[in-house]
Amino acid sequence: MTMTTADNQPLLKVVDLSLSYLTRQGPVPAVQSVSFELGRGQSLGLVGESGCGKTSVANCLMRLLPDNGRLTSGQVLLEGQDLLPMSEEEIRRFRWRRMAMVFQAAMNALDPVYRVGQQVVEAIEAHGIEETTAQARQRVARLFRMVGLDPQLMDRYPHEFSGGMRQRAVIAMALACDPAVIISDEPTTALDVIVQDRILRELKGVQRELSMGMIYITHDIGAVAEVTDRVGVMYAGRLVELGDTVDVLHAPMHPYTAALMSSFPSISGEKKALGTLPGEPPNLVNLPTGCPFHPRCAHATEECRREFPPQAQRGSQWAACWHPLNGAQESEQS
Amino acid sequence: MTNYLLRRSGQMVLTLFLIVTLAFFLVQAQPGDYAAFYSLNPDIPAEAREQIKASFGLDKPLWQQYLIHMKNTLTGNFGVSFGHYPRPVIEVLAERLPRTIVLFLSATAVSFYLGFFLGKAIAWRRGGVLEYAATISGATLFTAFTPAFALMMIWIFAFKLGWLPVGKFLDPLIWRGAEVTANHVFSYMLATAAAFVVFAFLTLLVARKSGRFATGRLPFLIIAAGAVAIPVAWAFTGIGYLALDILRHMILPIATLTLISFAGTMLLTRNSMLETMREDYVMAARAKGLPEKVVRDRHAARNALLPVITSLVYSLIFAIDGSVIIEGVFSWPGTGMTLLQAVRSEDLPLVMGAMVFIGLFSLLAHVIVDVLYVYLDPRIRYQ
Ligand SMILES: Nc1ncnc2c1ncn2[C@@H]1O[C@H](COP(=O)(O)OP(=O)(O)OP(=O)(O)O)[C@@H](O)[C@H]1O
Ligand code: SF4
Ligand SMILES: [Mg+2]
Repeated sequence: MTMTTADNQPLLKVVDLSLSYLTRQGPVPAVQSVSFELGRGQSLGLVGESGCGKTSVANCLMRLLPDNGRLTSGQVLLEGQDLLPMSEEEIRRFRWRRMAMVFQAAMNALDPVYRVGQQVVEAIEAHGIEETTAQARQRVARLFRMVGLDPQLMDRYPHEFSGGMRQRAVIAMALACDPAVIISDEPTTALDVIVQDRILRELKGVQRELSMGMIYITHDIGAVAEVTDRVGVMYAGRLVELGDTVDVLHAPMHPYTAALMSSFPSISGEKKALGTLPGEPPNLVNLPTGCPFHPRCAHATEECRREFPPQAQRGSQWAACWHPLNGAQESEQS
Repeated sequence: MTNYLLRRSGQMVLTLFLIVTLAFFLVQAQPGDYAAFYSLNPDIPAEAREQIKASFGLDKPLWQQYLIHMKNTLTGNFGVSFGHYPRPVIEVLAERLPRTIVLFLSATAVSFYLGFFLGKAIAWRRGGVLEYAATISGATLFTAFTPAFALMMIWIFAFKLGWLPVGKFLDPLIWRGAEVTANHVFSYMLATAAAFVVFAFLTLLVARKSGRFATGRLPFLIIAAGAVAIPVAWAFTGIGYLALDILRHMILPIATLTLISFAGTMLLTRNSMLETMREDYVMAARAKGLPEKVVRDRHAARNALLPVITSLVYSLIFAIDGSVIIEGVFSWPGTGMTLLQAVRSEDLPLVMGAMVFIGLFSLLAHVIVDVLYVYLDPRIRYQ
């Protein structure tokens, strides 16, 4: 169920994106040659063990990098416009207006000294979405209702909110300027399972209703199955497999994806975090040669250790592997 | 909130009680007999002496004297100053206290603003020339020996450059033939300053409540207009030149106090800023596409302010200490210098009165900072 826009241009197109963090131990290549597309109204999951670079990808898309972050290559095309060469002022107008974010630590994404509604009004004000404060507040009230919050709560402070309420408020905040793309970085990890589930469903509902593109970053395979159309699997800064969610979950091509699945009893059953794989993800400063997964891979051969694998394709699904599982149609050098 | 204020008031009363007690026993512990100082002072006529003796219970045992002292303090009766005989202590202090408060509030306000402003700037743009310059000069001034530094300021700005008066409250040559007293002019000045603060505050309040986003510069223009109107209005009163003279005398001590104390606020703000800049809500503010200045001021700096305000209590105490020395060096006739002189001339009632007043003043400052903090941090405000 890949969707493209009417004019056949994807909503968001990421091409060969690479990012390094400069550290005392040397450059950390946290994102390497990542490419993917996102259609309008489509939802793309990004999964992988902790530290594989998911948040870094999200931050590149928003161009919200820490001081030591350096973009070394790539394009981020939103509706055909490349965000990376933009000036600070251009990107500032772009952020939140076209692409908004629900943060990983949503608990702390609200400033403790301002009323919650005010913090949403602030974003509306910065982008000139409404004329007056009164109109902006009406908009906030609508957004609050949309995410299941009583609009009267907008004059409360963050510390008066429960975890779930804060999470909803942060989602309302992300919707404030009608963005085309919304990035959710593990939006529900800090919440209890029942609240997680409800908020997830609402997030999905809102995304469908507003026909936004969504990038959904998570450890939780259950959530991936529930809310994403396509899913990308990341390992050591690289996208190693990408395909329709149903295909990837039922017939993974990359041994890493398969290992993630097997450490996870039942897709539709109880929820469990990824990352209970034997061995450890590699140190990014000192990556293994060839396929970075080879020290942990049961199928590793000599060429795996020597050279980075090409993309093996199967329909709209691909994996970067010399020996893909579940039958690839063809293999092409990438 | 009410609960909190009640509790704070209770603590304040207790502290005040301790201060008054301490002042009494410190003076008692002076070498020489307290009662004898009164009865042997040649400035005091014999009949007044008896009266004083009775009203202070000087012929009674110590514990009774203490109780009488307590009662007198509560009713504002600190007795008669030896040095300023026959003026009552309370009258001397009522004249001098405002001068100290003005000196000290302006210096605290200026140094706090300067320190906060610089600290915020150097945290935001780390590693710049400004960071080195501000940190080194701030730390040097902070550790400088206060009297030596004050004398150096006088030497540079009063003697070498001749820009400002050497010290004191006013220049007698300018005041000769003036129809009003310095105290009158000074209280008008105080009233003007207070009115201006209220005016500026109300303007900002109305601007904020008016509900348009783009109020922009207008409130600041209105406030600036008010600031311009003040000297113009004073020029018409005919005593403007006298006020100007007092103002000129205030500049050097305020500048000195500011320079020795801004670094504390600056370094603290910098550290606090570096913490808040890492917070998710600052990242969120940037992600929302807010302008950098708004991210810095409304989010990072606004939160960094909280621990700095807490420390304001300590810098206030530092400034009260400093004001005794500064007033001495600049011959500024405020409470600090009064205390210094009273100690030197063994004017014991005045010493006791000044100590109690300075204590009361620091206590009030403390409470004001507390209330300010509660106002600034909604997490405490709504508990
Ligand atoms: N500012 C930084 N400086 C240096 N290294 C960093 C910085 N930020 C992240 N990293 C490193 O980059 C790698 C990718 O981090 P990132 O936060 O993108 O991972 P993640 O997939 O989001 O992990 P998690 O699931 O734990 O959120 C990690 O190894 C991390 O240690
Ligand atoms: S390329 Fe080789 S080592 Fe890497 S995942 Fe495929 S089989 Fe395993
Ligand atoms: Mg992350």
